Amino acid sequence: MKSQAPPTRAEFHEAIAHRSDRWFAACLKITRDRDLAQDAVQEALISAWEKRHQFRETARLDTWIHRIAINAALQLLRRNRPGLFESLAGDIAGGDEGPEAAQQARELDDELRAAFGGLTEIERVCFVLKHLEQWRLKEIAGELGIRTDAVKQAVFRAVKKLRASMHHLKEGAS
Amino acid sequence: MNDDKLILYYYDDLAGAERREVERALAGDPAVAARFRALKGDLDDFSDPRVTPPPPDMVQRWHDTIDRAAGIASPAARRPGFHSWSFLLGAAVTAALAAGIGLGILISGDEPAATRIEIPVAGLGTATPGAQPAFIRGLRLHLKESERSLASLPAETNGDRAVLIMDIIEQNRLFARAARRNDADDLARVLRAFELVLVELAAEDIAPEDAAALRAKLKFELNVMLTKLSRSSSDEPHSI
Repeated sequence: MKSQAPPTRAEFHEAIAHRSDRWFAACLKITRDRDLAQDAVQEALISAWEKRHQFRETARLDTWIHRIAINAALQLLRRNRPGLFESLAGDIAGGDEGPEAAQQARELDDELRAAFGGLTEIERVCFVLKHLEQWRLKEIAGELGIRTDAVKQAVFRAVKKLRASMHHLKEGAS
Repeated sequence: MNDDKLILYYYDDLAGAERREVERALAGDPAVAARFRALKGDLDDFSDPRVTPPPPDMVQRWHDTIDRAAGIASPAARRPGFHSWSFLLGAAVTAALAAGIGLGILISGDEPAATRIEIPVAGLGTATPGAQPAFIRGLRLHLKESERSLASLPAETNGDRAVLIMDIIEQNRLFARAARRNDADDLARVLRAFELVLVELAAEDIAPEDAAALRAKLKFELNVMLTKLSRSSSDEPHSI
């Protein structure tokens, strides 16, 4: 079997030049914290470089790094807020995020930002992973260490809240 | 047919009988089909959101990260006994650093390491207009404690030493984030630059002369920064 050469430094630079905005945006949507998102991308790049021999040509380098960045963002979020995904009991209220979170949220897309404001952390993370990152429910559950049913419920609630927000926004605009 | 099932159908997360049940309902019940169209329209609206590009200095930092990570590989091959990862002795440190706290920015090479990384303290103004006085006081305390910790750092490159440096890095990151929240972006950049030097200092195989040079560099830069922060806080209006 022909051995495959790992991606080169130049290929990493090319991926950064063309796709790091996507990695950053995805991490920002998960963490809602610019610095955490920056650190997640940084850590993903370091990790990807160290593991570059494991990269398979069947995947795209930028997609592979994207996935590593998402995992890094989730890890950082967990590290910063221990117990976040372990308990869903306190995540029903949500919405009251304080001035710092509001400041960071300005980086998000305007409409999404407004709508995301009403989601709890678990709803937002599950929705981003499901809807924007297109992960399977089981993958999300595995990564967050929660039951698949809990992920489903979080996605359902997120979709309902987001739809309600969007309808409200559209009504307000018309 | 409830919306939850339609949501799962939209995401292609239904299998077998459940999937066929939805397909039958969509084909046979116009009301369900209309509800699904509305749901799909809304969810599609949430796809492909605009992307906020990261600032150029952030992207440059990522490019630098790869260059530094790549810089490890080639000199290591020339230098027997170099283990860029092996300074991590404790499991906790391994876990933390495996998560990526700067491992890739360890540098080795012919040029003295301390000359490679620039900490832009000199470019830092004395004024930090957005920063709260309490934040500045906390930062000064952190810098002084960092100075003390660095001065008492064990000369031997072992796990304890790496743990101490990791503590400083973690604290440093917290202050970098707080600086950004205080609209003190220059300050945040300087604090992040400190991290690069600290990670380099944590390397197990760092040459004693390189370690000494890095510690001297850190000491000098920390002093400059403390002086600037002192000026900054003395410029503040005093309140009773």
